Amino acid sequence: MRPEPAVVAHHFEAMGTACSLFAIGIPESRLFDGEQWVQQLASRFTRFSADSELSRLNARAGEWVEVSTELEAVLRAAGRAYEMSAGLVNAAVLPSMLAAGYTRTFKAGATTVVLGRARPAPALPAVLHVRLGSARIEPGAGVDLGGIAKGWMADRLCEVIGPNVVVNLGGDLRAAGAGPRGHGWPVGVAGLTLLLRNQGAATSSVRRRKWGGAHHLIDPRSGLPADTGLEEVSVVAAGGFEAEVVAKTALLLGPEVAPAYCAGHALAWWLDGRHDS
Amino acid sequence: MRPVFLKVAATVLTIGATVASAVFVSSHVKNPAAPLQPSVLTGTSALGGAVVVGPLVQPTNQSPITSTYAS
Repeated sequence: MRPEPAVVAHHFEAMGTACSLFAIGIPESRLFDGEQWVQQLASRFTRFSADSELSRLNARAGEWVEVSTELEAVLRAAGRAYEMSAGLVNAAVLPSMLAAGYTRTFKAGATTVVLGRARPAPALPAVLHVRLGSARIEPGAGVDLGGIAKGWMADRLCEVIGPNVVVNLGGDLRAAGAGPRGHGWPVGVAGLTLLLRNQGAATSSVRRRKWGGAHHLIDPRSGLPADTGLEEVSVVAAGGFEAEVVAKTALLLGPEVAPAYCAGHALAWWLDGRHDS
Repeated sequence: MRPVFLKVAATVLTIGATVASAVFVSSHVKNPAAPLQPSVLTGTSALGGAVVVGPLVQPTNQSPITSTYAS
């Protein structure tokens, strides 16, 4: 029996969460390069820094603003997420997130909750316009890339690092290649271990990043923190970005519709709701 | 003479196809023991229940190298 190939691993903090990279057949230094790539993009996509590329775009609403290739790609991914989810995954919920008190990093703590200012989110295609090298946000609107950016980055970093790798960015992950034993990478999903090969996984939850009566996951239909009866959804899909979109969509659909939705859009899934009834 | 022959041939062909279809369908009735698709590893998709695993994903007894989680 052939010995298993050595897996190199690297763990770090980015985007306010724990990240891990695993690979086979490449030097560990490639994983350090991967962290640099993540940190650099995270600093450009964050809305918690006034001088980030995303913050500058949000601050100049009403104007066409030059954007990098990477930000343009993530903004286009946000548009795809909106289409894939029939509007439920809507990056234009930023004003409602601010009304819910999520105005700074979660580590710094929430600020005053003024849910009376929350409004249903506008349709993303009506307020975000993207063209080659530039983007424009309508006045009064704002964009938060959140989980969309993490799923997108996990997918891209897999392509950057190499053919046999797992990228886990705060639970949004992508597994590429055959893994240590040639059948896929063993990845934990809601207590079960699944072999993922060129697939992604993500978890959407209202149990983390919560404060008072509010939390970070905004339902764009109401502009309020989501309260659908589902509290946590884990999904395996074709990639990290797809898994993120499907998990969030399922959570927002609620317990009646989510099982059928997941059966049509996920490769594996787990749904958990309130246990108070 | 020739049009009549064509009409008769078309009628016979239609009736033949109908009979053949009926025989095929009645001999391929739905198998009530057929598995549901996608296959379910354990349990159902009830809330808080088991993970539902489709046919394109393999469960394993190996220890996970990493996990998806809420962050």
